[in-house]
Amino acid sequence: MRVAERQQQTARPILPVERTDLPLVAPGVTFRSLTGRVVANVLQPDVPLFWFWCYLAAIAAACVFSTALAIVLDVGIGVMGNNIPVAWVFPIANYVWWIEIAVGGSLLSSILRLTNQGWRSSINRIAESVTLAGIVCAGLFPIIHLGRSWVAYWTLPYPNTMIIQPNFRSPLVWDVFGIGTYALASVLFWYMDLLPDLATMRDHATSRISYFLYGLLSLGWSGASHHWRLHERAGLLLAGILTPLVFTVHTVVSFDFCISLVPGWHSTIFPPYFVTGAILAGISMVALMTTWVRSSFRLTSIITERHLNNLSKLILTTSVIMAYVYVFEPFINWYSGNYFDIYSTYVRSAGNFAWTYWAFILLGLGVPQLLWWKKNRITPRRLFVIALLIVIGMWLERYMLMVTSLSRDYLPSYWANFAATGADNALLYGSIGLFLCIFLLLIRALPMIPMYEIRMLLPLSKPGGGSVK
Amino acid sequence: MTLPRPYGLAAEFEDADQLLTAARAARAEGYRRFEGYSPYPIRELFEVIPQGNVTAKFVLPGLVFGAGVAGGFLGYYMQYFIAAVVYPTDIAGKPLNSWLAFVVITAAIALLFALITAFGGTLFFEKFPRIYNPLFRIPTFHRVSNDGFFLCIEATDGHFHPNRTARFLASLEPLQVWEVDCE
Repeated sequence: MRVAERQQQTARPILPVERTDLPLVAPGVTFRSLTGRVVANVLQPDVPLFWFWCYLAAIAAACVFSTALAIVLDVGIGVMGNNIPVAWVFPIANYVWWIEIAVGGSLLSSILRLTNQGWRSSINRIAESVTLAGIVCAGLFPIIHLGRSWVAYWTLPYPNTMIIQPNFRSPLVWDVFGIGTYALASVLFWYMDLLPDLATMRDHATSRISYFLYGLLSLGWSGASHHWRLHERAGLLLAGILTPLVFTVHTVVSFDFCISLVPGWHSTIFPPYFVTGAILAGISMVALMTTWVRSSFRLTSIITERHLNNLSKLILTTSVIMAYVYVFEPFINWYSGNYFDIYSTYVRSAGNFAWTYWAFILLGLGVPQLLWWKKNRITPRRLFVIALLIVIGMWLERYMLMVTSLSRDYLPSYWANFAATGADNALLYGSIGLFLCIFLLLIRALPMIPMYEIRMLLPLSKPGGGSVK
Repeated sequence: MTLPRPYGLAAEFEDADQLLTAARAARAEGYRRFEGYSPYPIRELFEVIPQGNVTAKFVLPGLVFGAGVAGGFLGYYMQYFIAAVVYPTDIAGKPLNSWLAFVVITAAIALLFALITAFGGTLFFEKFPRIYNPLFRIPTFHRVSNDGFFLCIEATDGHFHPNRTARFLASLEPLQVWEVDCE
């Protein structure tokens, strides 16, 4: 038998495989029903009742935040529980946590865009809103933690009469640039993505004022072919720029820790470990908000079970990587033979704050394992609870990371304990209110579904979305 | 009173296939200055209407790359200039020009420059902001951001003739043909 014949017999084509995927958009959705559905959510004159109550609660919490902030600025950061040697607890834990939450949205809009994941489209805007709101909260905490927040601009290199300049060898200065670039990238990406949808809003505006505002913001978008061409390319370029930022932003945050000599922090595993944690927390927050918005605004035809399923799988994957880190880190500490590193492992799992460690193991590593069951992945209520627990677990993890290492340093005479004060708690819970405020405003005032991308997913658009399933 | 200058003739279509067929027909007919308007990007249309293709393919990415490289150099130079020339600080005898520590900010500033160029460049090449567009006068043009598809042959095209072009567009079985004036 000749080779070609044998190959024909032994190698049979099996593609395309009959795929039993859940649909991306429910059957029956048309251009018109899609636009109507999304636009109505923005333009309906009556505020949805649930939105109103949530917003009221968020505003109340944000007021707590601003009050606490005013006290901290007026009295000084002594009202917070952190002090030497435990100098970095709540503000920095909150900062790291919020940045993590922001990174989840960026992952969807950058890497998943570049890898042409069609399912990303429906939840992209929600994820980006999470990112923007998260960055605002994240950016505030290092500035609060500076103590003299009103001179925060001293971290920037600018010609000044004091003739002093920042020390570029310090990771804290790297953070300023890393976060600054990341924040700008997120805003520009979000706005670029929003342009065509703002034009849709302009064309459906019911009042003169909304027509004027959406018209102004859409910059005169007309849907011209060569504008689409440039818009697509710009989207790819911005996604390409955002991709390294997704990794670097949290890598730089981890440098704040691992470049120090504090036992338990001084480890090369920190950058990948932080990035993984960021994706776990970020995607969980996106899943949390998606399930909530989906059921509240009745978007089940556009955000389908497939989206929940895919988000869950991302959470599950990152949680497994995270579990690997949690196995590997104690091993390396033991293997290093360094007494202080071994002791830091001991402090984490059996010291004063061991409860945070085990709570994280349970919430951040244990709870995601429930997502091995498909029922948990695609049932919105279950996913909501699981995602919420993971997000809480990730905060505890960052808290544990700071408080255990700083409270048990090299010298026992340098050891101290930490107790959170009212200001700490008010700033943490208040920032959640601030986050929800911004998020709720974004999804209420702007289309929360990227309509033009969904149009490409509809079977009606055959010549357009050939490459997207 | 002078008559308003014509901007072009616009034909409205039911779906993307019709728009695509019409655009191909217009190209075959010899028209060069025409533009399709659609609620989502139609990739096949990009080939029929080549405006902006070169910009999108080479000019914009080239500019973004160049800006990134320039930003990287500037970012590094800024750090070198401050840490080693203007404000040298001796910290544990470490070298003043400690390049390894400068990598992060160099990358951040490179990405920052690329980012601003990508965003600003796109708006520049799209000639945005341009709040007013003559086509917005078409009463049904609001459908273009929902489910409408338009093909506009512009009056600046050498081939353009008010009657002949109108007849040509009418032969493509559009929903309607609109006469659009400038201004």
